[in-house]
Amino acid sequence: MFSADLFTSFIQYVVLGLMLGGVYALAAMGLALLFGVANLINFAHGEYIMLAMYMTYVVSLGFIQDPVLSPIVTVPVFFLIGVLTYLGVFKRLVTAPPLSQIAATVGILVLLRNLALTIWAAEPKAPPYTVFATSVSLGPLTIPLDKLVATVVSIAALLILYFFLERSRLGVAMRAAADDVEAVSLMGVDTNRLFLVTTGISMALVGLSGSLVMTFQAVTPTSGLLFGLLTWAIVALAGLGTVRGILVSAIIFGVADSLASGIWDPRGREIFLYGLFILILWVRPKGLFGRR
Amino acid sequence: MFRQKSALAKSTALILVAVIVIAAVAAVGIFTIGLPGAQQTPQLSEVRVGLVEPLSGAYAVFGNEAKQAAELIAEEINAAGGIKNLGGAKIRLFIEDSKSSADGARLAAEKLVNVDRVNVIIGAFISAHTLTMLDVTEPKKIVVMADALVDYLTARGFKYIVRLPPKASVHGATAVDFAVGVFQKNNQKIQRPVIVHFDGLFGEVTADGIYTRLRDLGIRPVDRIKYPTDITDMAPIIERIKAANPDIVFAVPYYADSIILAKAVKSLGLKVQFIAGAGGTGLADPETIKAAGDATELMTNTYSYDPFLPTEYNKQLVQKFQSRYGKLPTEAAGIIFYTLWTLKEALEVAGKTNPNNPLDGDSLMAALMSLDLQSGPAAETYPAGRIRLAPNGDNIYAQAVVLQVQNGKPVLVYPFEKATNSVIFPRP
Repeated sequence: MFSADLFTSFIQYVVLGLMLGGVYALAAMGLALLFGVANLINFAHGEYIMLAMYMTYVVSLGFIQDPVLSPIVTVPVFFLIGVLTYLGVFKRLVTAPPLSQIAATVGILVLLRNLALTIWAAEPKAPPYTVFATSVSLGPLTIPLDKLVATVVSIAALLILYFFLERSRLGVAMRAAADDVEAVSLMGVDTNRLFLVTTGISMALVGLSGSLVMTFQAVTPTSGLLFGLLTWAIVALAGLGTVRGILVSAIIFGVADSLASGIWDPRGREIFLYGLFILILWVRPKGLFGRR
Repeated sequence: MFRQKSALAKSTALILVAVIVIAAVAAVGIFTIGLPGAQQTPQLSEVRVGLVEPLSGAYAVFGNEAKQAAELIAEEINAAGGIKNLGGAKIRLFIEDSKSSADGARLAAEKLVNVDRVNVIIGAFISAHTLTMLDVTEPKKIVVMADALVDYLTARGFKYIVRLPPKASVHGATAVDFAVGVFQKNNQKIQRPVIVHFDGLFGEVTADGIYTRLRDLGIRPVDRIKYPTDITDMAPIIERIKAANPDIVFAVPYYADSIILAKAVKSLGLKVQFIAGAGGTGLADPETIKAAGDATELMTNTYSYDPFLPTEYNKQLVQKFQSRYGKLPTEAAGIIFYTLWTLKEALEVAGKTNPNNPLDGDSLMAALMSLDLQSGPAAETYPAGRIRLAPNGDNIYAQAVVLQVQNGKPVLVYPFEKATNSVIFPRP
């Protein structure tokens, strides 16, 4: 009886972890895409997620009421923010040495964090309601609806991205650029435009993930720190390459997070996660699915 | 005979001289210290008060509220004529940002002591940060009035520290006393408590307070779960609580984690009779209620300040604070309210008892120790209504209050005899 209970608990934690991983995957995808295609190291990625979380909060409170519906606003707005960021900053960075990339994106990080502190002060903010703040029972398992919705939307977005990269001309060009920018450029692809769209898509993904995270999270001006580190670790574990790699890597993080919290000690999460992280990278230095 | 007479006259003369000398000394003494009006009131233009708070970084939410409160109270004291026994000296605030770090707090204290030459420092909200300030202030005999709660601050033998709010373990014990009382009123006994808390020092000490009080009552917690403050997801923890099948959950949340906790309790449908928070910030904060909506309904939390304390001055102050800053003053502001007013009272005493050197660390400390405030703004904003310091610098009458979220508003439910509303129990 006891072991059956334990087994149920174990499955419960795995299920919760899978869902969390789905959400993490989307958060990391924007970073991986920008890094992979444009070779751009965006240290402000976590801060953009934080900004998306705040926008979700504002939009939910202002006129949509439910954070689940807020992507209607955050996705296009963040695509636009991506385009503007590219034109304003990233365009000059693509060919710049890594040190300039770090300096510029860390600059954006500091700017966004303090901007958030000025506008929204330091109190944690969150939209108070979502119709999905309840759960369904699946046999002995409890499935929280807010996270289920977030996971389903997240996986759907990743699928769309996957098919876009596999099937569309632009997507193929992106993947090609990830392998060899010069060759792509010689083939007559306008890399400038390609990177512009890539940044736009990367940010649109950030917008969406910020909205989904807000169904169960709260945002403060330092939230970016947390998501920055997390998404970087996911990308590093996956290695640069595939959408699938990001998803698997994010799920490993999600499940490890959940199991550590549930069975051992929530504080062990970091030891467990980053221990696993070091182990995998030791065995496969390019990451689980890395091509370079 | 003549000789005898002469001896008598001699001794009489001696006595006379002695009496005259003693009378003269006494007269001079009375003239200088005893007679009202004859005493010189020190004429100071200002008292330099340092305030170290986390104004940026992770804990900025608390620091900024404390700063607002300090500015408001300093303004009130100055508008009412400053420190009368120091010749109407004005309170001048020197505000420094600890940047939410221990190093930042130490640097801030160094600047305040060496550059701004402050007479006293209030701060630094986080106990570990306050501790680093004491390394700077103790050798210079600068009094620190701490608004940080971890027990050790007043237990390490520092000479120039006082702390008015209830310490962390008192918060923990208060949550237990309150919950035991609530269960008793409903003819029940706590049997299967679970403690869940963030893993910072403050979380540990507060949770230890809960644990110890439960143990003293012969109750053993069925699980104690610690989590990191920057936790992303509470769902596994809620599932773990469910598995423990508790009759009450004691929580020590800090900050954004209280919102995440409340939301996860709701979305995962945790069924437990009662959820009692401890530790001054968390489940019944107006900001938490705003962000977590009805998920916080009927949750309780202990606080070092009660914004609903029904004294004349407190009502008026809360209204003033609200109209100026657009929000209810909570923990961080409340502690500053009574701390700064207590400082004012101590300065009045120091001006009288040690007019030559009223702002000296020893004189200020002696003045603080001599206080027994039962009326006036400090007492009227303090939960227990009385401030008197023990030799270690803690308030003997330290008391935490419990607020419960009822219909989306925090209301006072403990101490029972002062409660404005009765506790709603159990949770649906």
